[in-house]
Amino acid sequence: MKFWTGAGGLSKSRVFPSSLPARYPSVVEEAKLADELGFDAITCPEHHMMYDGFVTTPLQVLAAAAAVTTNIKFIPGAMLQPLYDPLEAAEYAATLDVISNGRAMMGLGVGYRPYEFDAFGYAKKTRGARTTEAIQAIRLATSQKKFSFEGKHYHYEDASIYPQPVQNPIPTWYLGGTSEIAARRAGRNGFPYWLANSSFERTEVMVNEYRKAGHEAGFTDDQLMVACHKDVCIGQTMKEAEELKELRLDNYDEHILGYGYLVDEDGQHIYGAGRDHPIYRRFMSSIFCGTLDLVIEELKRYEALGVHAVTASGNKKFWAENILPEFRED
Amino acid sequence: MRTGLSWDLAKDKDPVNAWNAVLDEIGVANGQGYDSAWVDETRDSAVSISSPSTFMTAAAARTTAIQLRSSSMHVTTHHFVRLAEEIVIVDLFSKGRAGISFAAGSRYGADPEHVHETIDFVQTAWSADEFRYSGKYVRFPLHTPESAPRGPSEPTEHDKYVPQWEWGPATPDFLAITPKPYAVAPPVSVEIDDDATLEWAARNSVSPFVRADIPTTEAVERLARYRAIADAAGQRRSAVEPTLERRVEVDGSATESTLAGSSEDLVNMVRTIKTQTGISHFVWRRTAEQTGRTDLLLKFAGEVQPMLQA
Repeated sequence: MKFWTGAGGLSKSRVFPSSLPARYPSVVEEAKLADELGFDAITCPEHHMMYDGFVTTPLQVLAAAAAVTTNIKFIPGAMLQPLYDPLEAAEYAATLDVISNGRAMMGLGVGYRPYEFDAFGYAKKTRGARTTEAIQAIRLATSQKKFSFEGKHYHYEDASIYPQPVQNPIPTWYLGGTSEIAARRAGRNGFPYWLANSSFERTEVMVNEYRKAGHEAGFTDDQLMVACHKDVCIGQTMKEAEELKELRLDNYDEHILGYGYLVDEDGQHIYGAGRDHPIYRRFMSSIFCGTLDLVIEELKRYEALGVHAVTASGNKKFWAENILPEFRED
Repeated sequence: MRTGLSWDLAKDKDPVNAWNAVLDEIGVANGQGYDSAWVDETRDSAVSISSPSTFMTAAAARTTAIQLRSSSMHVTTHHFVRLAEEIVIVDLFSKGRAGISFAAGSRYGADPEHVHETIDFVQTAWSADEFRYSGKYVRFPLHTPESAPRGPSEPTEHDKYVPQWEWGPATPDFLAITPKPYAVAPPVSVEIDDDATLEWAARNSVSPFVRADIPTTEAVERLARYRAIADAAGQRRSAVEPTLERRVEVDGSATESTLAGSSEDLVNMVRTIKTQTGISHFVWRRTAEQTGRTDLLLKFAGEVQPMLQA
């Protein structure tokens, strides 16, 4: 199983105040460290117009990391695809691919914050369908010198992107949150599927939905790859791990409750719910707390499920010294 | 006078090699005291750079001093919000060394007004907090009413502050582009091929840029006209950075748009143009054949650059 790690902290939130001009260049050093430590990829998220200066253009951030590393791969996650024209997105990815000499991937999500769609002038209600078409178009754009695509939302005839990427095509992952609709959409289209933070039990349900839809559409297991974002809190004792989780909740509360990230059973976005909301509680249960042994045991369950990669947050050196070796074949 | 470099890309190479050659030269220029590197947005070959700001972010990670200008930017291929955001990311990675130069609209069929609105939007985005923009081509956010004042506008009354995480599904009328750049005002310039843009830029203190393909006599005429209009409009000369890009043949032959001669000749040619036009930035456009010739970079850095500065 592969391990991806985040280029996190590119914001100056009220919970973790910091200097952005100081923080950005340090990403370059973190990328070098992650490369040396043997992580397989670096991820970077995207949001816009945030009071905390949240990073806006992940492929650009990853380009800085690409310029000073040799092995590690790069994957924006989630890049908010409905806010881009697919050709534009493909060109950004191709640019990173050339700078990194073939180490770019794409992780495309549908977005959810209403004001982001309003700011860019795109419809929110078509975001799922547009992202599906976009991934299809991007696959063509990054694999053929000239391509045509006829969709409901996007049309291209004899189009090309510049530059031509090194990889053919650039691997493109679909980030579908934790909804079963998204899992089935990813499976039906044969997209590699990157799950948001979920408990193992929820992950198992989603992966099965994904594979079932994929198999019905004629895709093989090799084509149906799964990655999982997995937040963990590791302590010397369970109590310490639980305390670490508590420390992170203020930041989670704002991001998970404030902007409509969570969706109820009817597909409606949840804004401003309290910590006792059942869907929030389910989300919080997805953060795994444990001692080192328990965390390794939990991650082994993901490996047994056939998960291709897990996104690891936290101290990179600790992960590299204590966890990654447990998953290396030699 | 500042000096910089820009590049014709080697179309016979693969993109990785062609781009690495430019990145390597930016690294050399960074150490040799060149003030700026300019990378154009192009879409005409497999080695084209469609996202100069992504390229410049990579350059930022490898350099410490040189300014990194995304140039010849097209307003029709980049969303105006993302244009503003991208330059900020270069700025943050380079701690204030980013800048942007826009292509003349006529070069790719864009209305000059589209270019002007985009420049106005980008500069507002870097300096204002919450704002909206109402233009012919730029509308931010989308639901901004037709009745809004033309151009940028900010709230005129202060309601109780509501943090973003309490907005719910509402889409505010005014939004702030974040993060803000490290530099208070990253440099912005525009090609003045179009008369409408030349006049607009001169009246609005946007720096003029004349690209290498314009014959030198025409370049001088256009830059001098810009200066006359700006002077007549009462603009302060110190507010702008008139920039001339030329191909240069050290000890070689001149053409209508290439400067050539000994180092001393080149110094005198550029200084003559400076007195005619007021340019404060000279950009040497490296031909594909020159790219990789470190000896030429060092010669220019030692024999020409210092004589342009004083």
